[in-house]
Amino acid sequence: MANYIIALILGIGFGFSLNKAGLTKYTKVVNVFRFTDLAVLKFMMTALVVAMTGLYVFRGLGWITFPSVPATYIVGNLIGGLIFGVGMALTGY
Amino acid sequence: MNWLKTQISKETWSPYVAGILLGVMGLLAVLLSKSLLGASGAFESLAGLIGKKIAPSLFSNVYWGVEGARGLPIMRPEITWPVILLVGVFFGGMLGALTSKTFKIRFNDDAQWKKIFGPQPWKRWVITFVGAIILEYAAGIAGGCTSGLAISGGMLLAPAAFLFIAGMFASGIITAVVVYRRRY
Repeated sequence: MANYIIALILGIGFGFSLNKAGLTKYTKVVNVFRFTDLAVLKFMMTALVVAMTGLYVFRGLGWITFPSVPATYIVGNLIGGLIFGVGMALTGY
Repeated sequence: MNWLKTQISKETWSPYVAGILLGVMGLLAVLLSKSLLGASGAFESLAGLIGKKIAPSLFSNVYWGVEGARGLPIMRPEITWPVILLVGVFFGGMLGALTSKTFKIRFNDDAQWKKIFGPQPWKRWVITFVGAIILEYAAGIAGGCTSGLAISGGMLLAPAAFLFIAGMFASGIITAVVVYRRRY
């Protein structure tokens, strides 16, 4: 139960940050592929770097163990990404 | 305090600031419940949950698990952690819109979309529906979406995440060129 409350609160933070970054708008998402507005890339990479740094520091301190890392299967990941990009550029989500 | 209020009521933040907030959320997810922030998996779990009720034989497969089989299925057909997360995302997005007073029920009011595809809302609905199927299908193949694989996998330095990002941008750019043609 406590786990679900954490999920709900983190979800609210997640949605809030998406909204404030403007990623809930079609224009923002599509324009990253047109190189006219790189907000999506800046947003994604900032999140990546912050979380990455924090995770490795926390693991170094022994506070956490890593959850199961997403599996690597080169062809699947790449083809999935290629199809995903089509949907993303079409819908803007 | 007033400064904070003005910041929260702003419609768009610097993507760097919003990115830090998301990064902290991703970090807390691992710290507090050993989970990754994934969005697409929630839809798959819900689809499996509904499908198992309607057509149990059709949905009894490797993906959603076979009755009585050993081991966990790829996608557990139940109300999982990501499903609850997704409910939070909905309300979080709403909260964001409410604080900046931009909350509104919209069907199609994106100026750029109208310029490219025309003003009819049904077109937006059809393309969104088809596009969303493509998104979810691709996320199923790759093992996650932008949040669950690219960001959450990337923060664990998973090679899968970077392969996914490369593929996503390559085809996204090509699709945008095709859709926008000379207006690119």
